[in-house]
Amino acid sequence: MIEFKQVTKKYDHGVIALDNISLKIEKGEFVFLVGPSGSGKSTFLKLVIKEEDPTSGNININSRDLSKLKDKDVPYLRRKIGFVFQDFRLLYDKTVAENIIFALRVIEASEREIRTQLSSVIKQVGLEGKENSYPNQLSGGEQQRVALARALATRPPIIIADEPTGNLDAVTAKGIMDTLYEINTKGTTVVVVTHDQNIIRASNKRVIALDKGKIVSDTKTGGVM
Amino acid sequence: MKTSTYLFKQGYENLKKHGSKTFTTMLIICATMIVLGIFLILVENVNKNVKTVTEGQGLQAFVSDDYLDDENIQQIARKLKDVENVKEVIYLDKDDAFEDAKSTLKEYAYLLDGLEKSNPFPASFIVKFDKLEGTEDVKETIETIDGIYKVGYNETILNAVMSVADIAKVAFFGIGTVMIVISIFIISNTIKLAVYSNKREIFIMRYIGATNKFIRRPFIVEGTLMGLGSAAISWVLVSLGYIAIYARLPKIGSTLGVFGFAPYSELWFVVLIAFILLGVILGMLGSSLAIKKYLKA
Ligand SMILES: Nc1ncnc2c1ncn2[C@@H]1O[C@H](COP(=O)(O)OP(=O)(O)O)[C@@H](O)[C@H]1O
Ligand SMILES: [Mg+2]
Repeated sequence: MIEFKQVTKKYDHGVIALDNISLKIEKGEFVFLVGPSGSGKSTFLKLVIKEEDPTSGNININSRDLSKLKDKDVPYLRRKIGFVFQDFRLLYDKTVAENIIFALRVIEASEREIRTQLSSVIKQVGLEGKENSYPNQLSGGEQQRVALARALATRPPIIIADEPTGNLDAVTAKGIMDTLYEINTKGTTVVVVTHDQNIIRASNKRVIALDKGKIVSDTKTGGVM
Repeated sequence: MKTSTYLFKQGYENLKKHGSKTFTTMLIICATMIVLGIFLILVENVNKNVKTVTEGQGLQAFVSDDYLDDENIQQIARKLKDVENVKEVIYLDKDDAFEDAKSTLKEYAYLLDGLEKSNPFPASFIVKFDKLEGTEDVKETIETIDGIYKVGYNETILNAVMSVADIAKVAFFGIGTVMIVISIFIISNTIKLAVYSNKREIFIMRYIGATNKFIRRPFIVEGTLMGLGSAAISWVLVSLGYIAIYARLPKIGSTLGVFGFAPYSELWFVVLIAFILLGVILGMLGSSLAIKKYLKA
Protein backbone atom coordinates (compact mmCIF):
# COMPACT_ATOMS: atom_id res chain seq x y z
CA MET A 1 0.00 0.00 0.00
CA ILE A 2 2.79 2.40 1.00
CA GLU A 3 6.28 1.48 -0.15
CA PHE A 4 9.49 3.49 0.23
CA LYS A 5 12.57 2.30 -1.61
CA GLN A 6 15.85 3.91 -0.55
CA VAL A 7 14.21 7.26 -0.13
CA THR A 8 16.32 10.28 0.76
CA LYS A 9 14.88 13.74 1.28
CA LYS A 10 17.23 16.67 1.43
CA TYR A 11 15.70 20.13 1.91
CA ASP A 12 16.96 23.20 0.13
CA HIS A 13 19.26 24.32 2.92
CA GLY A 14 21.00 20.97 2.99
CA VAL A 15 19.05 19.44 5.89
CA ILE A 16 18.76 15.71 5.36
CA ALA A 17 15.28 14.98 6.74
CA LEU A 18 15.15 11.36 5.57
CA ASP A 19 18.23 9.29 4.90
CA ASN A 20 17.92 6.24 2.66
CA ILE A 21 14.63 4.92 4.05
CA SER A 22 13.12 1.64 2.85
CA LEU A 23 9.88 0.28 4.24
CA LYS A 24 6.61 -1.27 3.29
CA ILE A 25 3.21 -0.77 4.92
CA GLU A 26 0.62 -3.32 3.82
CA LYS A 27 -3.04 -2.74 3.14
CA GLY A 28 -5.03 -2.82 6.39
CA GLU A 29 -1.99 -2.34 8.65
CA PHE A 30 -1.90 0.00 11.64
CA VAL A 31 1.49 1.65 12.10
CA PHE A 32 2.89 4.05 14.65
CA LEU A 33 5.66 6.33 13.48
CA VAL A 34 7.73 7.60 16.41
CA GLY A 35 10.91 9.53 16.97
CA PRO A 36 12.23 12.74 18.46
CA SER A 37 11.32 16.13 17.09
CA GLY A 38 13.10 16.78 13.81
CA SER A 39 13.65 13.08 13.07
CA GLY A 40 11.73 13.29 9.78
CA LYS A 41 8.26 11.98 10.67
CA SER A 42 6.34 14.84 9.09
CA THR A 43 8.60 14.74 6.08
CA PHE A 44 7.70 11.07 5.65
CA LEU A 45 4.00 11.94 5.61
CA LYS A 46 4.53 14.83 3.18
CA LEU A 47 6.27 12.47 0.79
CA VAL A 48 3.32 10.06 0.97
CA ILE A 49 0.88 12.75 -0.20
CA LYS A 50 3.43 14.15 -2.65
CA GLU A 51 3.53 17.52 -0.99
CA GLU A 52 7.27 17.05 -1.23
CA ASP A 53 9.23 14.95 -3.69
CA PRO A 54 12.12 12.72 -2.62
CA THR A 55 15.63 13.80 -3.54
CA SER A 56 16.34 10.20 -4.48
CA GLY A 57 14.64 6.80 -4.25
CA ASN A 58 11.15 5.64 -5.12
CA ILE A 59 7.76 5.84 -3.45
CA ASN A 60 4.81 3.67 -4.42
CA ILE A 61 1.31 4.29 -3.12
CA ASN A 62 -1.27 1.69 -4.14
CA SER A 63 1.41 0.36 -6.54
CA ARG A 64 1.65 3.74 -8.25
CA ASP A 65 5.06 5.27 -8.62
CA LEU A 66 4.71 8.82 -7.33
CA SER A 67 7.59 10.07 -9.45
CA LYS A 68 5.51 9.22 -12.51
CA LEU A 69 2.42 10.98 -11.17
CA LYS A 70 1.57 14.14 -13.07
CA ASP A 71 0.81 17.35 -11.17
CA LYS A 72 -2.80 17.26 -12.25
CA ASP A 73 -3.20 13.74 -10.82
CA VAL A 74 -1.88 14.64 -7.37
CA PRO A 75 -5.35 15.71 -6.11
CA TYR A 76 -6.65 12.24 -6.94
CA LEU A 77 -3.81 10.65 -4.96
CA ARG A 78 -4.74 12.85 -2.01
CA ARG A 79 -8.36 11.75 -2.19
CA LYS A 80 -7.14 8.26 -1.35
CA ILE A 81 -5.41 9.54 1.79
CA GLY A 82 -7.23 11.17 4.69
CA PHE A 83 -4.95 13.55 6.57
CA VAL A 84 -5.39 14.53 10.24
CA PHE A 85 -3.29 17.30 11.80
CA GLN A 86 -2.23 17.92 15.39
CA ASP A 87 -3.95 21.34 15.32
CA PHE A 88 -7.15 19.99 13.68
CA ARG A 89 -7.14 22.55 10.84
CA LEU A 90 -10.86 23.16 10.94
CA LEU A 91 -12.72 26.06 9.37
CA TYR A 92 -13.93 28.06 12.34
CA ASP A 93 -16.62 29.98 10.52
CA LYS A 94 -18.28 26.74 9.50
CA THR A 95 -20.31 24.32 11.63
CA VAL A 96 -19.30 20.71 12.18
CA ALA A 97 -21.59 19.58 9.38
CA GLU A 98 -20.34 22.33 7.06
CA ASN A 99 -16.72 21.38 7.69
CA ILE A 100 -17.48 17.83 6.62
CA ILE A 101 -19.60 18.93 3.67
CA PHE A 102 -16.72 21.17 2.62
CA ALA A 103 -14.51 18.11 2.16
CA LEU A 104 -17.19 16.35 0.15
CA ARG A 105 -17.64 19.36 -2.10
CA VAL A 106 -13.92 19.53 -2.69
CA ILE A 107 -14.01 16.04 -4.18
CA GLU A 108 -17.14 17.05 -6.09
CA ALA A 109 -19.40 14.49 -4.44
CA SER A 110 -23.07 14.37 -5.43
CA GLU A 111 -25.70 15.92 -3.16
CA ARG A 112 -26.97 12.46 -2.36
CA GLU A 113 -23.51 11.19 -1.47
CA ILE A 114 -22.98 14.26 0.71
CA ARG A 115 -26.12 13.50 2.71
CA THR A 116 -25.38 9.82 3.30
CA GLN A 117 -21.67 10.30 4.05
CA LEU A 118 -22.32 13.17 6.45
CA SER A 119 -24.58 11.17 8.75
CA SER A 120 -22.42 8.08 8.45
CA VAL A 121 -19.15 9.76 9.52
CA ILE A 122 -20.85 11.81 12.24
CA LYS A 123 -21.99 8.51 13.75
CA GLN A 124 -18.60 6.85 13.18
CA VAL A 125 -16.72 9.46 15.24
CA GLY A 126 -19.48 9.86 17.82
CA LEU A 127 -20.48 13.46 17.15
CA GLU A 128 -24.24 12.97 16.97
CA GLY A 129 -26.05 16.08 18.11
CA LYS A 130 -23.07 18.34 17.46
CA GLU A 131 -23.69 18.82 13.73
CA ASN A 132 -24.69 22.45 14.05
CA SER A 133 -22.08 23.48 16.61
CA TYR A 134 -19.14 25.62 15.64
CA PRO A 135 -15.64 24.26 16.36
CA ASN A 136 -15.07 26.92 19.03
CA GLN A 137 -18.01 25.53 20.98
CA LEU A 138 -16.37 22.10 21.13
CA SER A 139 -13.62 20.56 23.28
CA GLY A 140 -10.23 19.72 21.76
CA GLY A 141 -11.13 16.05 21.57
CA GLU A 142 -14.38 16.84 19.81
CA GLN A 143 -12.60 19.14 17.38
CA GLN A 144 -10.19 16.35 16.51
CA ARG A 145 -13.20 14.11 15.93
CA VAL A 146 -14.51 16.65 13.45
CA ALA A 147 -11.15 16.59 11.69
CA LEU A 148 -11.28 12.79 11.70
CA ALA A 149 -14.82 12.82 10.33
CA ARG A 150 -13.72 15.19 7.59
CA ALA A 151 -10.84 12.89 6.66
CA LEU A 152 -13.15 9.85 6.64
CA ALA A 153 -15.94 11.51 4.68
CA THR A 154 -14.25 10.93 1.35
CA ARG A 155 -13.75 7.20 2.22
CA PRO A 156 -9.98 7.11 1.78
CA PRO A 157 -8.29 3.68 1.96
CA ILE A 158 -5.44 5.30 3.93
CA ILE A 159 -5.61 7.57 6.98
CA ILE A 160 -2.54 9.49 8.02
CA ALA A 161 -2.46 11.38 11.32
CA ASP A 162 0.39 13.67 12.35
CA GLU A 163 0.40 13.74 16.17
CA PRO A 164 -3.40 13.68 16.35
CA THR A 165 -3.39 13.51 20.14
CA GLY A 166 -0.56 15.97 20.69
CA ASN A 167 -2.88 18.70 21.96
CA LEU A 168 -5.17 16.43 23.97
CA ASP A 169 -5.26 15.06 27.50
CA ALA A 170 -4.77 11.33 28.08
CA VAL A 171 -8.42 10.36 28.36
CA THR A 172 -9.45 12.31 25.28
CA ALA A 173 -6.43 10.96 23.42
CA LYS A 174 -7.48 7.41 24.19
CA GLY A 175 -10.90 8.13 22.76
CA ILE A 176 -9.39 9.37 19.49
CA MET A 177 -7.07 6.35 19.31
CA ASP A 178 -9.99 3.98 19.88
CA THR A 179 -11.78 5.56 16.95
CA LEU A 180 -8.66 5.12 14.80
CA TYR A 181 -8.37 1.45 15.82
CA GLU A 182 -11.98 0.93 14.93
CA ILE A 183 -11.51 2.56 11.52
CA ASN A 184 -8.55 0.22 11.01
CA THR A 185 -10.58 -2.90 11.82
CA LYS A 186 -12.88 -1.96 8.94
CA GLY A 187 -9.94 -2.26 6.55
CA THR A 188 -8.47 1.23 6.38
CA THR A 189 -4.68 1.47 6.50
CA VAL A 190 -3.69 3.84 9.31
CA VAL A 191 -0.37 5.60 9.95
CA VAL A 192 -0.14 7.60 13.17
CA VAL A 193 2.75 9.80 14.20
CA THR A 194 2.91 10.10 17.98
CA HIS A 195 5.16 10.92 20.90
CA ASP A 196 2.89 9.31 23.43
CA GLN A 197 4.57 6.22 24.90
CA ASN A 198 1.45 5.29 26.86
CA ILE A 199 -0.56 4.98 23.70
CA ILE A 200 2.09 2.85 22.01
CA ARG A 201 2.55 0.59 25.03
CA ALA A 202 -1.21 0.11 25.40
CA SER A 203 -1.44 -1.18 21.85
CA ASN A 204 0.22 -4.09 20.14
CA LYS A 205 0.67 -2.36 16.80
CA ARG A 206 3.68 -2.07 14.56
CA VAL A 207 6.03 0.75 15.60
CA ILE A 208 8.57 2.31 13.26
CA ALA A 209 11.08 4.56 15.01
CA LEU A 210 12.97 7.30 13.22
CA ASP A 211 15.99 9.19 14.40
CA LYS A 212 17.93 11.76 12.41
CA GLY A 213 16.18 10.63 9.26
CA LYS A 214 16.99 6.93 9.65
CA ILE A 215 14.82 4.00 10.71
CA VAL A 216 16.29 2.91 14.02
CA SER A 217 13.74 0.21 14.77
CA ASP A 218 10.72 -1.48 13.26
CA THR A 219 8.81 -3.96 15.44
CA LYS A 220 7.61 -5.81 12.35
CA THR A 221 10.90 -6.42 10.62
CA GLY A 222 12.79 -7.34 13.76
CA GLY A 223 12.58 -5.09 16.75
CA VAL A 224 15.38 -2.74 17.58
CA MET A 225 17.95 -2.38 14.82
CA MET B 1 -27.38 23.87 -2.36
CA LYS B 2 -25.90 22.86 -5.70
CA THR B 3 -22.19 23.13 -6.42
CA SER B 4 -22.71 25.92 -8.95
CA THR B 5 -24.84 27.92 -6.53
CA TYR B 6 -22.18 27.33 -3.92
CA LEU B 7 -19.47 28.69 -6.20
CA PHE B 8 -21.51 31.72 -7.10
CA LYS B 9 -22.20 32.40 -3.45
CA GLN B 10 -18.50 32.06 -2.57
CA GLY B 11 -17.52 34.48 -5.33
CA TYR B 12 -20.18 36.96 -4.32
CA GLU B 13 -19.27 36.75 -0.65
CA ASN B 14 -15.62 37.39 -1.41
CA LEU B 15 -16.71 40.50 -3.30
CA LYS B 16 -18.82 41.70 -0.37
CA LYS B 17 -16.13 41.02 2.21
CA HIS B 18 -13.78 43.42 0.44
CA GLY B 19 -16.48 45.87 -0.55
CA SER B 20 -14.59 49.15 -0.74
CA LYS B 21 -11.63 47.58 -2.53
CA THR B 22 -14.04 45.90 -4.94
CA PHE B 23 -15.69 49.26 -5.56
CA THR B 24 -12.39 51.00 -6.41
CA THR B 25 -11.35 48.14 -8.63
CA MET B 26 -14.61 48.28 -10.53
CA LEU B 27 -14.19 52.03 -10.86
CA ILE B 28 -10.82 51.48 -12.53
CA ILE B 29 -12.15 48.74 -14.79
CA CYS B 30 -15.01 51.07 -15.73
CA ALA B 31 -12.54 53.85 -16.53
CA THR B 32 -10.61 51.47 -18.79
CA MET B 33 -13.77 50.31 -20.46
CA ILE B 34 -15.11 53.81 -20.99
CA VAL B 35 -11.86 55.01 -22.54
CA LEU B 36 -11.73 51.94 -24.76
CA GLY B 37 -15.42 52.33 -25.49
CA ILE B 38 -14.91 55.93 -26.65
CA PHE B 39 -12.06 54.81 -28.89
CA LEU B 40 -14.12 51.96 -30.20
CA ILE B 41 -16.96 54.34 -31.03
CA LEU B 42 -14.53 56.67 -32.78
CA VAL B 43 -12.98 53.85 -34.77
CA GLU B 44 -16.41 52.53 -35.68
CA ASN B 45 -17.43 56.02 -36.80
CA VAL B 46 -14.24 56.46 -38.82
CA ASN B 47 -14.88 53.11 -40.50
CA LYS B 48 -18.43 54.12 -41.31
CA ASN B 49 -17.21 57.45 -42.72
CA VAL B 50 -14.55 55.73 -44.78
CA LYS B 51 -17.26 53.50 -46.14
CA THR B 52 -19.52 56.42 -46.99
CA VAL B 53 -16.70 58.39 -48.60
CA THR B 54 -15.53 55.38 -50.57
CA GLU B 55 -19.00 54.60 -51.73
CA GLY B 56 -19.46 58.18 -52.84
CA GLN B 57 -16.01 58.26 -54.34
CA GLY B 58 -15.36 55.31 -56.58
CA LEU B 59 -13.03 55.24 -59.57
CA GLN B 60 -13.29 57.11 -62.82
CA ALA B 61 -12.31 55.10 -65.90
CA PHE B 62 -11.83 57.25 -69.01
CA VAL B 63 -12.85 55.90 -72.43
CA SER B 64 -10.83 56.56 -75.61
CA ASP B 65 -12.73 58.54 -78.22
CA ASP B 66 -12.32 55.57 -80.63
CA TYR B 67 -14.54 53.36 -78.46
CA LEU B 68 -17.60 55.53 -78.13
CA ASP B 69 -19.99 53.50 -80.30
CA ASP B 70 -22.83 51.76 -78.43
CA GLU B 71 -21.43 48.28 -78.89
CA ASN B 72 -18.04 49.10 -77.38
CA ILE B 73 -19.55 51.09 -74.52
CA GLN B 74 -21.86 48.23 -73.62
CA GLN B 75 -19.00 45.77 -73.76
CA ILE B 76 -16.81 47.92 -71.51
CA ALA B 77 -19.69 48.36 -69.06
CA ARG B 78 -20.18 44.58 -68.93
CA LYS B 79 -16.47 43.98 -68.31
CA LEU B 80 -16.41 46.58 -65.57
CA LYS B 81 -19.39 45.05 -63.79
CA ASP B 82 -17.66 41.66 -63.84
CA VAL B 83 -14.66 42.95 -61.90
CA GLU B 84 -14.65 41.79 -58.33
CA ASN B 85 -15.59 44.35 -55.66
CA VAL B 86 -17.38 46.53 -58.19
CA LYS B 87 -20.80 47.48 -56.93
CA GLU B 88 -22.08 49.85 -59.55
CA VAL B 89 -21.04 51.32 -62.93
CA ILE B 90 -22.34 54.65 -64.16
CA TYR B 91 -21.64 55.90 -67.72
CA LEU B 92 -20.95 59.58 -68.29
CA ASP B 93 -20.83 60.47 -71.99
CA LYS B 94 -18.85 63.39 -73.39
CA ASP B 95 -21.81 65.76 -72.99
CA ASP B 96 -22.19 64.82 -69.34
CA ALA B 97 -18.48 65.40 -68.85
CA PHE B 98 -18.77 68.82 -70.47
CA GLU B 99 -21.72 69.77 -68.21
CA ASP B 100 -19.86 68.46 -65.20
CA ALA B 101 -16.85 70.59 -66.01
CA LYS B 102 -19.04 73.62 -66.45
CA SER B 103 -20.73 73.14 -63.09
CA THR B 104 -17.37 72.61 -61.40
CA LEU B 105 -16.09 75.86 -62.85
CA LYS B 106 -19.24 77.73 -61.78
CA GLU B 107 -18.71 81.40 -62.54
CA TYR B 108 -15.69 80.62 -64.74
CA ALA B 109 -17.80 78.40 -66.99
CA TYR B 110 -17.44 81.01 -69.72
CA LEU B 111 -13.89 79.67 -70.21
CA LEU B 112 -15.47 76.72 -71.97
CA ASP B 113 -17.48 78.83 -74.35
CA GLY B 114 -16.93 77.79 -77.92
CA LEU B 115 -15.59 74.34 -77.02
CA GLU B 116 -18.99 72.62 -77.30
CA LYS B 117 -18.28 71.36 -80.79
CA SER B 118 -14.78 69.94 -80.25
CA ASN B 119 -15.58 68.88 -76.62
CA PRO B 120 -12.17 67.92 -75.18
CA PHE B 121 -13.67 66.12 -72.19
CA PRO B 122 -13.55 62.32 -72.38
CA ALA B 123 -16.45 59.98 -71.70
CA SER B 124 -15.98 57.90 -68.57
CA PHE B 125 -17.37 55.29 -66.25
CA ILE B 126 -17.78 55.97 -62.55
CA VAL B 127 -17.03 52.66 -60.84
CA LYS B 128 -18.26 52.25 -57.27
CA PHE B 129 -16.89 49.74 -54.79
CA ASP B 130 -18.43 47.22 -52.49
CA LYS B 131 -15.70 47.59 -49.91
CA LEU B 132 -12.62 49.67 -49.32
CA GLU B 133 -9.97 46.94 -49.26
CA GLY B 134 -8.49 45.92 -52.60
CA THR B 135 -9.49 49.00 -54.58
CA GLU B 136 -5.96 49.01 -56.01
CA ASP B 137 -6.67 45.59 -57.56
CA VAL B 138 -9.87 46.91 -59.10
CA LYS B 139 -7.92 49.81 -60.56
CA GLU B 140 -5.28 47.55 -62.08
CA THR B 141 -7.87 45.23 -63.59
CA ILE B 142 -9.83 48.09 -65.09
CA GLU B 143 -6.70 49.58 -66.66
CA THR B 144 -6.30 46.43 -68.77
CA ILE B 145 -9.76 46.71 -70.33
CA ASP B 146 -9.72 47.64 -74.03
CA GLY B 147 -10.88 51.17 -74.61
CA ILE B 148 -9.99 52.43 -71.15
CA TYR B 149 -6.96 54.67 -71.45
CA LYS B 150 -6.76 56.06 -67.95
CA VAL B 151 -8.20 55.31 -64.52
CA GLY B 152 -8.38 58.10 -62.00
CA TYR B 153 -9.19 58.13 -58.37
CA ASN B 154 -9.34 60.80 -55.81
CA GLU B 155 -6.43 59.42 -53.86
CA THR B 156 -5.86 62.40 -51.65
CA ILE B 157 -9.23 62.31 -49.90
CA LEU B 158 -9.21 58.56 -49.63
CA ASN B 159 -5.71 58.41 -48.21
CA ALA B 160 -6.44 61.13 -45.70
CA VAL B 161 -9.45 59.23 -44.40
CA MET B 162 -7.47 56.02 -44.33
CA SER B 163 -4.65 57.55 -42.32
CA VAL B 164 -7.09 59.01 -39.80
CA ALA B 165 -8.54 55.53 -39.46
CA ASP B 166 -5.07 54.05 -39.01
CA ILE B 167 -4.05 56.59 -36.37
CA ALA B 168 -7.27 55.96 -34.46
CA LYS B 169 -6.64 52.23 -34.60
CA VAL B 170 -3.04 52.48 -33.41
CA ALA B 171 -4.07 54.79 -30.58
CA PHE B 172 -6.89 52.42 -29.72
CA PHE B 173 -4.56 49.43 -29.46
CA GLY B 174 -1.74 51.32 -27.77
CA ILE B 175 -3.73 53.04 -25.06
CA GLY B 176 -6.03 50.05 -24.83
CA THR B 177 -3.18 47.64 -24.15
CA VAL B 178 -1.73 49.83 -21.41
CA MET B 179 -5.09 50.24 -19.71
CA ILE B 180 -5.89 46.56 -19.97
CA VAL B 181 -2.58 45.62 -18.38
CA ILE B 182 -3.19 48.08 -15.55
CA SER B 183 -6.70 46.72 -15.04
CA ILE B 184 -5.55 43.12 -14.93
CA PHE B 185 -2.94 44.04 -12.36
CA ILE B 186 -5.48 45.85 -10.19
CA ILE B 187 -8.08 43.08 -10.41
CA SER B 188 -5.38 40.59 -9.56
CA ASN B 189 -4.43 42.63 -6.49
CA THR B 190 -8.01 42.80 -5.27
CA ILE B 191 -8.55 39.09 -5.75
CA LYS B 192 -5.30 38.42 -3.92
CA LEU B 193 -7.03 39.86 -0.84
CA ALA B 194 -9.76 37.28 -1.21
CA VAL B 195 -7.22 34.55 -1.86
CA TYR B 196 -5.29 35.64 1.20
CA SER B 197 -8.30 35.65 3.49
CA ASN B 198 -9.17 32.18 2.20
CA LYS B 199 -5.63 30.83 2.56
CA ARG B 200 -6.67 28.40 5.25
CA GLU B 201 -9.48 27.02 3.12
CA ILE B 202 -7.15 26.67 0.16
CA PHE B 203 -4.57 24.89 2.28
CA ILE B 204 -7.14 22.42 3.60
CA MET B 205 -8.66 21.94 0.17
CA ARG B 206 -5.30 20.98 -1.26
CA TYR B 207 -4.84 18.36 1.45
CA ILE B 208 -8.28 16.93 0.84
CA GLY B 209 -7.55 16.60 -2.87
CA ALA B 210 -9.08 19.62 -4.57
CA THR B 211 -8.06 20.07 -8.17
CA ASN B 212 -6.50 23.39 -9.12
CA LYS B 213 -9.53 24.05 -11.25
CA PHE B 214 -11.82 23.65 -8.26
CA ILE B 215 -9.71 25.92 -6.06
CA ARG B 216 -9.51 28.54 -8.78
CA ARG B 217 -13.21 28.60 -9.61
CA PRO B 218 -14.67 30.84 -6.90
CA PHE B 219 -11.96 33.41 -7.56
CA ILE B 220 -12.56 33.26 -11.29
CA VAL B 221 -16.25 33.73 -10.56
CA GLU B 222 -15.38 36.70 -8.37
CA GLY B 223 -13.18 38.26 -11.06
CA THR B 224 -15.70 37.63 -13.79
CA LEU B 225 -18.52 39.11 -11.72
CA MET B 226 -16.41 42.22 -11.23
CA GLY B 227 -15.68 42.38 -14.95
CA LEU B 228 -19.29 41.87 -15.98
CA GLY B 229 -20.57 44.35 -13.40
CA SER B 230 -18.12 46.93 -14.69
CA ALA B 231 -19.15 46.13 -18.27
CA ALA B 232 -22.79 46.80 -17.45
CA ILE B 233 -22.05 50.08 -15.67
CA SER B 234 -19.67 51.25 -18.41
CA TRP B 235 -22.14 50.38 -21.12
CA VAL B 236 -24.93 52.35 -19.49
CA LEU B 237 -22.65 55.36 -18.99
CA VAL B 238 -21.21 55.29 -22.51
CA SER B 239 -24.66 54.80 -24.03
CA LEU B 240 -26.18 57.69 -22.09
CA GLY B 241 -23.18 59.86 -22.91
CA TYR B 242 -23.29 59.18 -26.64
CA ILE B 243 -27.02 59.63 -26.87
CA ALA B 244 -26.75 62.91 -24.95
CA ILE B 245 -24.12 64.47 -27.21
CA TYR B 246 -25.30 62.87 -30.47
CA ALA B 247 -27.89 65.60 -31.02
CA ARG B 248 -25.11 68.18 -31.27
CA LEU B 249 -22.81 66.13 -33.49
CA PRO B 250 -22.71 66.29 -37.30
CA LYS B 251 -24.57 63.28 -38.67
CA ILE B 252 -22.90 60.82 -40.94
CA GLY B 253 -23.62 61.37 -44.66
CA SER B 254 -25.46 64.63 -44.02
CA THR B 255 -22.73 66.79 -45.57
CA LEU B 256 -20.39 65.23 -48.07
CA GLY B 257 -16.76 65.44 -47.11
CA VAL B 258 -17.50 66.32 -43.48
CA PHE B 259 -16.87 63.77 -40.77
CA GLY B 260 -20.19 62.65 -39.36
CA PHE B 261 -21.34 60.44 -36.50
CA ALA B 262 -23.53 57.36 -36.73
CA PRO B 263 -26.67 57.02 -34.61
CA TYR B 264 -26.26 54.92 -31.44
CA SER B 265 -28.63 52.32 -32.79
CA GLU B 266 -25.76 51.30 -35.11
CA LEU B 267 -23.20 51.17 -32.29
CA TRP B 268 -24.70 49.90 -29.04
CA PHE B 269 -24.33 46.24 -29.87
CA VAL B 270 -20.64 46.42 -30.80
CA VAL B 271 -19.93 48.38 -27.62
CA LEU B 272 -21.91 45.96 -25.46
CA ILE B 273 -20.20 42.89 -26.89
CA ALA B 274 -16.78 44.54 -26.56
CA PHE B 275 -17.46 45.40 -22.91
CA ILE B 276 -18.73 41.94 -22.04
CA LEU B 277 -15.74 40.27 -23.67
CA LEU B 278 -13.38 42.71 -22.04
CA GLY B 279 -15.03 42.18 -18.66
CA VAL B 280 -14.79 38.42 -18.86
CA ILE B 281 -11.20 38.46 -20.12
CA LEU B 282 -10.04 41.01 -17.55
CA GLY B 283 -11.77 39.16 -14.73
CA MET B 284 -10.47 35.75 -15.68
CA LEU B 285 -6.90 36.85 -16.31
CA GLY B 286 -6.78 38.98 -13.17
CA SER B 287 -8.05 36.22 -10.93
CA SER B 288 -5.91 33.50 -12.52
CA LEU B 289 -2.91 35.67 -11.85
CA ALA B 290 -3.93 36.23 -8.22
CA ILE B 291 -4.38 32.56 -7.40
CA LYS B 292 -1.40 31.22 -9.35
CA LYS B 293 1.02 31.28 -6.42
CA TYR B 294 -1.26 29.11 -4.29
CA LEU B 295 -1.68 26.35 -6.82
CA LYS B 296 1.70 24.68 -6.96
CA ALA B 297 1.08 20.99 -6.45
N1 LIG C 1 10.20 22.77 4.38
C1 LIG C 1 11.37 22.53 5.01
N2 LIG C 1 12.49 23.18 4.60
C2 LIG C 1 13.66 22.96 5.18
N3 LIG C 1 13.84 22.10 6.20
C3 LIG C 1 12.77 21.41 6.65
C4 LIG C 1 11.49 21.61 6.07
N4 LIG C 1 10.61 20.80 6.72
C5 LIG C 1 11.32 20.13 7.64
N5 LIG C 1 12.62 20.50 7.62
C6 LIG C 1 13.70 19.96 8.45
O1 LIG C 1 13.76 18.57 8.23
C7 LIG C 1 13.99 17.88 9.45
C8 LIG C 1 12.84 16.91 9.69
O2 LIG C 1 11.65 17.64 9.93
P1 LIG C 1 10.25 16.98 10.18
O3 LIG C 1 10.04 15.98 9.10
O4 LIG C 1 9.27 18.04 10.35
O5 LIG C 1 10.49 16.20 11.54
P2 LIG C 1 9.45 15.73 12.65
O6 LIG C 1 8.09 15.78 12.09
O7 LIG C 1 9.90 14.35 12.99
O8 LIG C 1 9.60 16.64 13.81
C9 LIG C 1 14.10 18.96 10.51
O9 LIG C 1 15.49 19.23 10.69
C10 LIG C 1 13.41 20.14 9.91
O10 LIG C 1 13.99 21.35 10.39
MG1 LIG D 1 6.38 16.80 12.73
